[in-house]
Amino acid sequence: LVSGIAYLVLTGYPQDSEDQEYVLVNNKCQCVTVTSKFVPSKENPGEEILQRNIRILVPLKARENISDPLSPLRTKFVYRMTELCKKCDPVEIELGGEIYQAQQSTSCNEPETCYTYNRDKCYTTTFPFHYRGETKNVKAVLTPASCYAD
Amino acid sequence: MTLLAFIFLLAFLPAESASSRYLPKAAISSPVFGPRQVYGLLNGSVTVKCFYPPTRVNRHDRKYWCRESATRCMTVVSTSGYTASGYRGRISITDYPEAENFQINISALTMADAGTYQCGVGINGRGLSHRVSLDVSEGPHVPEGAELFYVKLHSTLTMSCGFGKEYASVRKFLCKVEKNGCYNVVDSYGKVGEDYEGRALLSNEELPGSFSVVITQMGWEDSGLYLCGVGSYGEDGEMKELDVHVYEETKVPQRKPTIIGVKGSSATFECLYEPVKKSSERYWCKWRQNGCYRIIANSGYVSPSYEGRVAMYDNPGNKTITIILNQLKDSDKGYYWCMTNEEKEQQSSTELKIIDGEPGLKGKKEVEAQVGSQVDLTCAYPCKYYSYQKYWCKWSGTTCTPVPASDQRQPGPDVTCDTDNKTVILSFDSVAKTDQGWYWCGVKRNGLFGETMAVYLQVTGGSGADRSPELLDIDALSPAEPPSHADSGFNPRGRANLDAGVQSAGASGSSDQSDGPNTLAMVLGPVAAVLLILVTAFAVFKYRQLRRSDLVSVGSYRTNISMSDFESVKEYSASNNACVKESQETQLGGDELITTTATPESAAETKKAKRSSKEDVDLAYSAFLLASGTIAQGGTGGASAAPDTSPPAWEGQI
Repeated sequence: LVSGIAYLVLTGYPQDSEDQEYVLVNNKCQCVTVTSKFVPSKENPGEEILQRNIRILVPLKARENISDPLSPLRTKFVYRMTELCKKCDPVEIELGGEIYQAQQSTSCNEPETCYTYNRDKCYTTTFPFHYRGETKNVKAVLTPASCYAD
Repeated sequence: MTLLAFIFLLAFLPAESASSRYLPKAAISSPVFGPRQVYGLLNGSVTVKCFYPPTRVNRHDRKYWCRESATRCMTVVSTSGYTASGYRGRISITDYPEAENFQINISALTMADAGTYQCGVGINGRGLSHRVSLDVSEGPHVPEGAELFYVKLHSTLTMSCGFGKEYASVRKFLCKVEKNGCYNVVDSYGKVGEDYEGRALLSNEELPGSFSVVITQMGWEDSGLYLCGVGSYGEDGEMKELDVHVYEETKVPQRKPTIIGVKGSSATFECLYEPVKKSSERYWCKWRQNGCYRIIANSGYVSPSYEGRVAMYDNPGNKTITIILNQLKDSDKGYYWCMTNEEKEQQSSTELKIIDGEPGLKGKKEVEAQVGSQVDLTCAYPCKYYSYQKYWCKWSGTTCTPVPASDQRQPGPDVTCDTDNKTVILSFDSVAKTDQGWYWCGVKRNGLFGETMAVYLQVTGGSGADRSPELLDIDALSPAEPPSHADSGFNPRGRANLDAGVQSAGASGSSDQSDGPNTLAMVLGPVAAVLLILVTAFAVFKYRQLRRSDLVSVGSYRTNISMSDFESVKEYSASNNACVKESQETQLGGDELITTTATPESAAETKKAKRSSKEDVDLAYSAFLLASGTIAQGGTGGASAAPDTSPPAWEGQI
C-alpha cells in the first residue's frame, strides 16, 4: 500500500526530456554500447554539455576465430568509433505518403570480425574424432542454448 | 549565460524529432523483468515470478536465482540442477516458457534470507537479470507488492483496478511515477497526459468502483511504475502499484502505427484479431478525450455522419478486419481504435495524418441521371495501379458489395476496363431509382485493399434524354486535366495576373501556367547558390574526415576511470585454497567477461547536430584499454602474480 506517501500529481506538466539517455551504438558483435545524454557542465552549471558513455566488454578468453576453439587466444582488440557508428540496419522512412526501407550507411558489405558470440546465432565447429582406429570429422556445438531447433 | 542556456533548451525542442530516431537507453537494458520488492513472513513462503522474452535461445537457456554480494552473484538455485547447501529442500525453480516466465518458490523463510537477489537467464553476472530485494518480517501483515505487466513493444496493455463500491462515483485515475512526481496518464474526468494523447482510454467496468485502462502502441518510454487509484493522492484516496516492462521480441513486422492519407483520397486500416469468439462485437471508433466515438461496427451500425464513407471487410483467414475510410478531410486526422468487447489485449490504435496532395483515383464525385437513361460512372487511375485489380462496388451499410460483371444481353450495369485510357467504367443501360446511392471505385492487390473513390449517383424522375451526352463528354476527359468547372473559372484570372503566381483551388498542374519567367529565375538563383555551398561544405567535410579519421584531439576530453573497478578482477581468479567453505556451482562458460566501465566526458561538443556524428577516440581512451588488458591478464594467471607477460602490442590502431 502506498498510503503515507503523497505523490505530487503534475497534470499537463511537460515530461523533462532533457534527462533522457539515448542509444547511439549497440554493437553485439564487438560488445560495445554507446549512449549519450545532456548533463550540466561542471564549470558552468547553467550550460548543458553532451556526455557520451562508451561501454566496452572485452572478452579476454576469446579466440582469434570464435568459431574455432583451437585457434590461439585473441590478444589484440581493435575498436573503431567510425565502424561502430555505422548504421547498416535498414530503417523505415516516409516519402510522399509511402513508407520505404533505406540503409543509412555505405560500405556495409564488409564482413565484421566478431569478438564474442551473438546469442541468437548457433556456432558450430568440426573436430577430428578418433574411434576404433577411424578418424571422422564430427560437428560440435559451441553455444548449446542457441542451437535448438524449435 | 542564462540566455545561452535558454537558447540551448529552446534549440532542444525542435530537435525532438531528431532525438526520437534514437532508441532510449531502456531499449538496451535488461529484458528480464520481475518484482522490485518481495515481502515475506517469517517461516512463511514467497514466490518470485521473473519474465523473459520468449526467444528460442531464452527458452532453452539456464535460469538462475542468485544472491548478490559485493563482487559477484552466488547461485542459490538454478535450472541446471544446482541448489545451494543452506536451501536444500525449501527452494525450487520452475520454468514456464509458454508463459514467458520462470518462478522461484522459497518456503520456511528465515531472517537471514532477507537481502538482494538476482533472477536471470544464462550465466550469472552477464547482465540478463533483474534485481529483487527480499524482505522478511515478523508480520502479521505483509505489504502487497506491485502487480507486474510484461508487454511486447507496440502492443496493447490493459490494466484493471478495483476499489469497492463506495468509490463508484469518485474520480478515477492512472498516473506514471517519475523522479519528481506522478504524471497523469488518464483520468475519469477526460484529462489525458501529453504523451498518451490518442493512446489511452479509461473505461468503467461492471463492478462499481472498478475500472480498466487500455494503452496502445506501448513504447520503450512506457516502462516503469504506475499508480492507479480513486479520489485524490495520499489523502483519502486509495492507490495500487503497477509495474510495467516493455520488451522487444525478434523483429516481427509490425503494423504501421501511423497511416498517412491524402486529402480527398482514402485510407485503409487493418485490425488483427484472434478469432476466439466469432460472435464477439467488433467496432471501429475515433478517439476522443472522454471516450471513443463509434463509427462502424460489425453488428451493422454505421454512424450517420460517415454514410457512404466507411466500409468494413472481415477476413477470418488472415485474422484481419479491413476498414476503408474515403473522402478524407482535414478533420479526419486523429487516432482510430479497433475495439472488441472481449479480449481487450487485441485492441489496437492507429494514427491517421492528412496531407495535401492528389488522390490517385479521379472522377466525377456526384452524378445525376434520369430514370431509364444510360449512365456511365468513370474512374480514372494512374500508372501505379496498372497491375492492380480494379473494381466497382455499391455501398450498403457496413460493407461495399462488388458489382458483378454481367452479360451484355441482360439489362443492368456492367463493368469494363479501357486499358488505353486507364479508366474503369461502370455503366448502367437503364438506370432505375433503386440504383441511387454511393458507389465506390477501388483497387486491390493480393487481397489487400488499396485506394478507393466514392461517387454518389442521384437518380431523378422525369424526362430529358439530352442530358446524357453532356455527361458522357465530361467523363471522357483525360485524367490529367483538372475538373471542368475549375478550368473555366481559372483562365480569366490567369490572364489578368500573369506575373504574380496565382494559386488554383484544386488542380496543382495548372498553377505552373501562371508562373512567369521572372519568378522562375528568382527561384532558381538562390537555389543554385545554396546547392553550391552545400556541395563545397560536403567535399571539405569528407576530405577532413578522411584525413582525420584516426587522429587524436588532445585536451578536449576528460576520462573518468575509478581504480576500484580493477580491484574486483582478483575475485575472478581460480582459487587454489583447499579450505573453501562453500561449494559453488561451476559455471559453463565461466566469467570471461570482466566489466569495467569508463565514462569519457566531452566538453567540446555543445552543438546539437554533433549528437549523431562520429567521434574521434583519443589517447587517454586507448591507454585505458591498454591498462585493463595488462591487469586483467595478470589477474587470470594467479591470485596476486605480477603481470609477467608483456602488454599486448599496441600499434596505435585505435
